Amino acid sequence: MINYKEHRLSNGLRVLANEDECSAMAAVNLLYQVGSRDESAERTGFAHLFEHLMFRGTKSVPDFDGPVQEVCGENNAFTTADYTNFYITTPKDNFETALWLEADRMMGLDITPEKLALEKSVVIEEFNQRFLNRPYGEQWHTLRSMVYTRHPYRWPVIGITPDHIRNASLEDVKEFYERFYNPSNAILSVSAALPAERIFEAAERYFGELPAGRTYNTSEQRALEPKITSARRHTIESNVPADQITIAFLMEERGERGYYLCDLLTDLLAGGESARIYQHLVRQRQIFSAANAYITGECGQGMLILTGQITPGTSIEEAEEALYGELELLVREPVGDYELRKVQNKFEANITFGELNVMNKAMNLGYYKMLGDMSLLNGEIDIYRSITAEEIADYILRNLTRNQSATLIYRSKR
Amino acid sequence: MKRPEIHPISLPRVPHYEMTKTEGGAPLYTLHNSTQGVVRVSFVFRAGTSYQSAPFSASTVVNTLTEGTLNLSGEQIAEGLDFVGSYYDANIDRDWAVVTFCSLGKFVEPTLDIAEEVILRPEFPAREIASYCAKRKEQLHIQRSKPEQLSRELFGKSLFGENHPYGITSSEEAYDDITPDLLRDFYNAHYNAANAFAVICGDFDQKVVERVVAILNGLPAGEEASREIPPLESVPFAKQRLEGAVQSSVKIGIPLFPRSHPDFIPLQVLATAMGGYFGSRLMQNLREEHGYTYGAYAAMINLDQSGYFVMSAEVAAEHTDEAIAEMFSELDRLSLEPIAEEELEIVRKIIVGDVMRIFDGPFGAADVTIENIQNGERNDYTEHFMARVRSITPAELQAVAQRYLQKNRSTVTIIGA
Repeated sequence: MINYKEHRLSNGLRVLANEDECSAMAAVNLLYQVGSRDESAERTGFAHLFEHLMFRGTKSVPDFDGPVQEVCGENNAFTTADYTNFYITTPKDNFETALWLEADRMMGLDITPEKLALEKSVVIEEFNQRFLNRPYGEQWHTLRSMVYTRHPYRWPVIGITPDHIRNASLEDVKEFYERFYNPSNAILSVSAALPAERIFEAAERYFGELPAGRTYNTSEQRALEPKITSARRHTIESNVPADQITIAFLMEERGERGYYLCDLLTDLLAGGESARIYQHLVRQRQIFSAANAYITGECGQGMLILTGQITPGTSIEEAEEALYGELELLVREPVGDYELRKVQNKFEANITFGELNVMNKAMNLGYYKMLGDMSLLNGEIDIYRSITAEEIADYILRNLTRNQSATLIYRSKR
Repeated sequence: MKRPEIHPISLPRVPHYEMTKTEGGAPLYTLHNSTQGVVRVSFVFRAGTSYQSAPFSASTVVNTLTEGTLNLSGEQIAEGLDFVGSYYDANIDRDWAVVTFCSLGKFVEPTLDIAEEVILRPEFPAREIASYCAKRKEQLHIQRSKPEQLSRELFGKSLFGENHPYGITSSEEAYDDITPDLLRDFYNAHYNAANAFAVICGDFDQKVVERVVAILNGLPAGEEASREIPPLESVPFAKQRLEGAVQSSVKIGIPLFPRSHPDFIPLQVLATAMGGYFGSRLMQNLREEHGYTYGAYAAMINLDQSGYFVMSAEVAAEHTDEAIAEMFSELDRLSLEPIAEEELEIVRKIIVGDVMRIFDGPFGAADVTIENIQNGERNDYTEHFMARVRSITPAELQAVAQRYLQKNRSTVTIIGA
């Protein structure tokens, strides 16, 4: 349970404050509603590259990290398909340093050709490290391009190819900055043992003067992805150490009932050691050496994933049948009350364990504000508790069929 | 907009534990904080991989404690923990095995019912052990296609020696030789009162304390574990080619000593300056000036009977040699010139900030306590540590660098093109 107060500046910046009870630290989180889904198909990976550039200094604060370090602070950021998130933790009395730095770089970013060139090479090394220089490294590129035909979720946050990053120009940078990095497109959230009024007053002081900027019209990038109607399948033969199967289904948007059904369903399958896939397919039948089921969790139509690394001696066909077998079992014998309560309890515990420090609380506040329905912040558990076995069975029957799947197989040449 | 005034930063208050002696002799340390309704109980055993005579036996023991006990099957254990949303974690390093249970305060009792079985009455059932070993063998095979795993293994054996308990790696096939008897022997020798302690942290009452004391009292007395730590057989250079690699994983290490050595803290400060934060020398050089890497770090690593200074980076394959040259030039610079007072002040603040962040949240105090007890210290060590960091001078650091951080004492390992 996170308590909070809200405030809105005249330039549109949304501000949320959680009055923490015990921490010596303050967490300042700034979320911009821009992610890889807002990129053009010819300039993928740009939102993430831009996140890196936000640390490259302004005219008035050329070294962003210096002032953070001077107050024993720490800062970082990440980019998702839907949003870009910056955060700073400092000892609580110095939280204004974080506000000052964030306000400064919201308007005064100073990117030179040299800084851009350097950051490109860093991001290309990140691309190499995380996606090229490892077995199965290209799997998300391939799978996304199979599941999505129109939606910008068809490329990963890192981008389609390092070439897109190489080709980014200073003009692209300026346009992106002006378009998305504005108070009206941002959410500031703070968690600290400080009165909310003090936080709001400081937010007014540091951000109040900034011009609102244009509000970005999101509709053009929000086209719905059409349903998958016949099975898609792709096999990669390569030097990977083990056969692997990944089955993806297109989901409904976050907030729809189907989203919560999928989330709970994947927890029945793989949420913990006692879950079905682990008990049945890893422990008992030893079809997989590791297996998982989860949702990718985007705000728009994300994916439900079933995946596993297949044990030597087991055929890929048998592994695939086994995964579908678990779905069919949930239809044939709807899940009992005990098991349903188990995953619902787990959601409740996970929420508590996820709110133990100021950073997580500030981040959650910003995220739920972005979703547009703050009642979900502390209310999602009730949705999970309302889900029935019949609903799950019905959902599987209608949506999680072979015809609606995209399957990526790795066949090992070992 | 004007820069805000900097408020003076007071050192974080280090929580102090209460110690309870138990009849069996395994001590219990408790740290109470009542704000968040969660409890964590950790059981710590002197049972790390350096104590094993058969490969993988130490990790298999700690990882299969939950695979079946006298009164509960593995499935019942998993069900019981999942039903109340409790977390179970088994963790092992070269020296220690740590088994942790986390639960909501209202579910601490059923969680400890299971903890008692897992800690005191594991059975290592043959069928489950065979299944576990087959799975781990396959997962290790998969891990060993990843550069970071290969790099860790090559570095360990190059720094310590191929057969040294801190450096040894074993073939996947060694999992075939694991038997329940082997595991029971290791369990009996190490999971006893002479080699154990426990830590409770969070929101708990006296009943919980009594319950954990009872579990500790259930451990047989045993004898303190020991093992032969042979002299090092370091090699200066090792390289393993990885076909098609677009990056090289580079590690440079210097074998030194454990945390109890008086020069350990100065070396931690040097490691932080070298690669302990975003503005550190390695990051500035390799990432910010040259764009060779996405990430690089340095650290001072503590082991029970040893320790080492390490620098590490994944660098563009075509710049491997230049990157290594830059890493050595940064190493030399620590000896050649005193660290500027301004830089040292930042490093001090990074270290203090890191400690403050550990204490944000209810469980950080448990981690700090475990580490201090493992090293034969109390939690005032952490206060001493911060005071030492605050008072250390550039001249002291340079002298320590000159004494230890020399290229001719180093081991370089490369996985890549």
